[in-house]
Amino acid sequence: MQVSISWLKDYLNIDCAADELAEKFTMAGIPVENVVRAGEGLEKVVTGKIVELTKHPDSDHLLVCQMDVGEKDLIQIVTGAPNVEVGQVVPVALVGAHLPNGQKISKGKLRGVVSNGMLCSSDELKIEVAPEDYVNGIYILPDDTPVGVPAAKVLGLDDAILEFELTANRGDCFSVYGLVREAAVLLNETPKFPAIEVNEDADQNAADLIEIKIDAPDLCQRFSSRVLTDVKLFPSPDWMQKRLEGAGIRAINNVVDVTNFVMVELGQPMHAYDYDEVVGKVLNARRAVAGEQLHTLDDSNRLAKGDELVIADAEKAAGLAGVMGGLETEITEKTKTVVLEAAAFNPASIRRTSRAVGLHSEASGRFERGTNENNTIAALNRAAQLLQEMGACKVCSGIVDVYPAPKSQVKVQFTAEQINKRLGTDISEEDILKILKSLGFEINDADAAQVEPDSVIDKISFAAKHLGKAAKELSQNASVDDFVKNIGSTVGELMKRGVPAISTTYEAIVPDWRNDVRLMDDLSEEVARIYGYDKIPATLPKGQLQGRQSDFQNFVDKIKFTLTGLGMDEITSFVFTSEEMFDKLQIPKDSELRRAVPIMNPLTDEAPLLRTNLLCSVLENAARNFSRKNEDIRLFEVAPVFFPKGLPVTELPDEVQKLAGILMGRREPKGWSQNSADIDFYDVKGIVEELFAELSIERYTVEVGEHYAMHPGKTAVFKKGREILATVGEIHPSVTESLGINKKIYAFECDIATLMKCAAKKFSFEILPKYPAITRDLAILVDNDVEAGEVEKVIAKSAGKFFNEVTLFDVYKGDRISADKKSLAFTIKFQSNERTLKDEEADTAFKNILSTIEKTFAAELRS
Amino acid sequence: MENKVKSLIEAAENAINSAVTNLKELDDVRVKFLGKKGEFTTLVKIMGELAAEEKPRIGKIINDARTQIKNLIDDKKAALKAQELQNKLASEKIDVTLPGRKIYRGHLHPLTLTLNRVKEIFIHMGYTVEEGPEVETDYFNFEALNLPKDHPARDMQDSFYITEEILMRTQTSPVQARTMQKNNANAPIRMIAPGRVYRRDDYDASHSPMFTQIEGLVIDEGITFADLKGTLDFFCKKIFGETAQIRLRPSFFPFTEPSTEVDVSCMMCHGKDEHCKVCHGSGWLEILGAGEVHPDVLAMSGYDPSKVSGFAFGMGIERIAMLTYGIDDLRLFFENDVRFLNQF
Repeated sequence: MQVSISWLKDYLNIDCAADELAEKFTMAGIPVENVVRAGEGLEKVVTGKIVELTKHPDSDHLLVCQMDVGEKDLIQIVTGAPNVEVGQVVPVALVGAHLPNGQKISKGKLRGVVSNGMLCSSDELKIEVAPEDYVNGIYILPDDTPVGVPAAKVLGLDDAILEFELTANRGDCFSVYGLVREAAVLLNETPKFPAIEVNEDADQNAADLIEIKIDAPDLCQRFSSRVLTDVKLFPSPDWMQKRLEGAGIRAINNVVDVTNFVMVELGQPMHAYDYDEVVGKVLNARRAVAGEQLHTLDDSNRLAKGDELVIADAEKAAGLAGVMGGLETEITEKTKTVVLEAAAFNPASIRRTSRAVGLHSEASGRFERGTNENNTIAALNRAAQLLQEMGACKVCSGIVDVYPAPKSQVKVQFTAEQINKRLGTDISEEDILKILKSLGFEINDADAAQVEPDSVIDKISFAAKHLGKAAKELSQNASVDDFVKNIGSTVGELMKRGVPAISTTYEAIVPDWRNDVRLMDDLSEEVARIYGYDKIPATLPKGQLQGRQSDFQNFVDKIKFTLTGLGMDEITSFVFTSEEMFDKLQIPKDSELRRAVPIMNPLTDEAPLLRTNLLCSVLENAARNFSRKNEDIRLFEVAPVFFPKGLPVTELPDEVQKLAGILMGRREPKGWSQNSADIDFYDVKGIVEELFAELSIERYTVEVGEHYAMHPGKTAVFKKGREILATVGEIHPSVTESLGINKKIYAFECDIATLMKCAAKKFSFEILPKYPAITRDLAILVDNDVEAGEVEKVIAKSAGKFFNEVTLFDVYKGDRISADKKSLAFTIKFQSNERTLKDEEADTAFKNILSTIEKTFAAELRS
Repeated sequence: MENKVKSLIEAAENAINSAVTNLKELDDVRVKFLGKKGEFTTLVKIMGELAAEEKPRIGKIINDARTQIKNLIDDKKAALKAQELQNKLASEKIDVTLPGRKIYRGHLHPLTLTLNRVKEIFIHMGYTVEEGPEVETDYFNFEALNLPKDHPARDMQDSFYITEEILMRTQTSPVQARTMQKNNANAPIRMIAPGRVYRRDDYDASHSPMFTQIEGLVIDEGITFADLKGTLDFFCKKIFGETAQIRLRPSFFPFTEPSTEVDVSCMMCHGKDEHCKVCHGSGWLEILGAGEVHPDVLAMSGYDPSKVSGFAFGMGIERIAMLTYGIDDLRLFFENDVRFLNQF
């Protein structure tokens, strides 16, 4: 919605500047997005009359104009415009003008002929909504336009346009009337709306000419119409065109302009039908039949789905109600008789239809927000009046109006206390009533003050008792003075006890243009926004509750802190993915991970699915970094993946929180004295081990694992019982290649809930050893395929009761041993908590270990 | 004899002070004079030839001389050692301007950092942190929030649909209804619900199909609009600094009544710069939407609006992060360029 301030000023005294008015509107919940001043740059543009027109001596298309711009002498201007004639009044940019399009006007010559200015087109003046003729040629002003006055004034560009961004609830403000009513309250002025009068032609009765029917009363609440005869089409008067321009609507012809004008003025969209094209002289608001042809104004044939509301004549649908008219009944040069429609339609139905056909018009926007059913008659009369005033038609007598279930008044009960209690304010009852009345609410005083019975019962009984006593005394000849004194003390006592809050219950009758007010709570907002949100106090809720995060949230935080401590960067990725990504990751065709939740309307076809694994997102971000030459990266994320309970989806999918991380590039940051080796499997494994240590996940096993996206020989799975804690490995070289990365990537994946389940709940510290440990080193040669982890397990099992720990400190393959062998070197620690061990005890244990290892792995002791 | 001693002392002094440059030479001097075969040993041997009455006197002279020389040597030794240490330290001088050895230091994502700050403030104010699914039913995402089908306000939030009835949540507000329905009727609530939300917006500097919201809900007896204002004022001062001011503008959300948009005073220019890039000269920055919970919303989730009332608010974490860190492009959060991440 946009409107010029001058239109508002037609009906209201507005003294403040445009910006100030905009601010007042905004702070009252009628947000003004922009204040546009069209006249900027037109300071040196005046109106001028073309007195003489001659051909340029050296040009076929240039003309030399002698212009009267209200000065003593004529000025000469050369123009190339095709549409100029002697006698026209046009906007003239004088020397020194700096036009809104950036053009500066200076003295000059065009092909040798002096030109002291420029005749302007609507483009050059930045008039966005201009009659079509004037866009390319010069903007021709009416003949009677005074000469030598500022063009901005004549063009109505001394005005400011308010561009509103109205909220969905305030349909009433999509009209000049609605905005004026609001402004009147904010400025404390009284609006003066025009009197609407129509001179009807007694000879012709509208009801004899047209029949109106509503076959779908659930979609059309009211259909009112007038018939206009002897219609003459011509451009509407200048003032009306300017008003429409200000509202962002292009002038077309008087009939269309008037329907648009009334729509903006009163908020009631209208439609005009060429009566002669209405078959059967009947207009019926009915449901479209599925498959029915809809030939609309944009000259396209649409097929009805079947739930749209159409306005149909006896033969065909003559338009999609409230969205777009039909082509056959369009007003044309030939139109003689017009049927005007002013109706009220079901907002939801209009919204569905307008979305379905992709048409959003000024009219449909208003219907979607709900129009005022009681406004149709006023709109018809206003339109008839305007057309009559410009001599465009005769008006048949009567209005054909079908209104099956007239809207009833909405009444809301409230007390000042309720409103103050909701707002946390102390606004007086008087002010509350004043605000509501100013907004057009009628307030009925309740018949009697209603008093909360419970809260006053003791006061009433107290008063009754004492007053009864006083009355009795009076009847027993006590003096009147005593009686008065008695009453006084009773009242005094009541006051001391606290007079109960007697709050009057009022009834507000909601004005018919407001379809957003239904409850006391709605009234409270009306009061608050006029009273001023800035005047509402700032308090804090009373009482205390215990704030906390869930254990799960704390666990996730711990993971994040630990991994950042281990040198990894947290990322946030999108949850969308695609089949193509699944292919890149080599997810098997029959894998559960291929069963992803599809999005009906994805943003792009590249990401139509919800991810089933987090690694894809982390790898995508690794690839993006790599393509930007960030080659040393360590990324992780904790985020959900989505598994459908079934496909197609009928219920909410399972959302499972996962952890995924990747490492690539150098083991240490690049520097003058840093290890320049690249990361390998054991770096990522180390990170997972450290993370698990921090999370108190203990006594897990690590085995050779399998993962669709990982190197078959470099994948490990961390397990505790049957639970898989983590899969760790090198990303498969084909996967890295498909991601455009020519470096090794190492990755891990975990399920958060599993980690949490396997984390020790309690932690207790171990006593430090009191007695020294004895260590023995063991270096053995084994076959290459012997797993060090298995050897460690066997060492631990065979090391006897003083075994403390085993540490693998060297792995060697190379020239000094045969190619199918590797050397493993362990330090084995023995310790007792009771005494210092003897060397012989360690030796015995060592011998036992050695013989077991030799047997189990065919290991040889390396000397 | 006495002369001999004297000249011996002189010779020793000479040797120590002028000839000796290091500990080895000093030791040679010591051996020469005080060693087993040194000069003094020779003197002592000669002393045997002296007359008996002379012996004590000469003996003392010799002893004194020996002590004197020993002291000279010790002093020289100390001086030489000090010198030697100094030389050693000098030779060990390193270039302290060389950079220290680097360690990878990980970084929490700026959205996590911002969210953590917001969470901390509200947890201290007694709020619990609630969660809900990111794929939501139309019922919880819209209908339970007073947004029936075909409500024009649904236009504000273009959604990703999975089915007609299931969609990517467009806001964290459904957690309101979920929390109320989980609770006993009318049980007091103070909660925040952070999380990812999804809207079908094109991806550009100020729009993203996925972003992070935090929802707040307080329900109790007698919770007022003024309580909402005070709470948000407190929050903004904590997050943006004690000088931050808030401004409430009436607005419309189907799930609150009255509703408000909340602006915070521009922390860049404090309303003083007409050309401020952040607030464009208005002095105010829109940061959240809020209001008193609509009675229908309470009633739909089993709370009795005649007994309790509440307020709710929702804000974008990206917006707050952008304002606090001066970030001007939303996409930076989701591109996860390590050169960006490593700044936090």
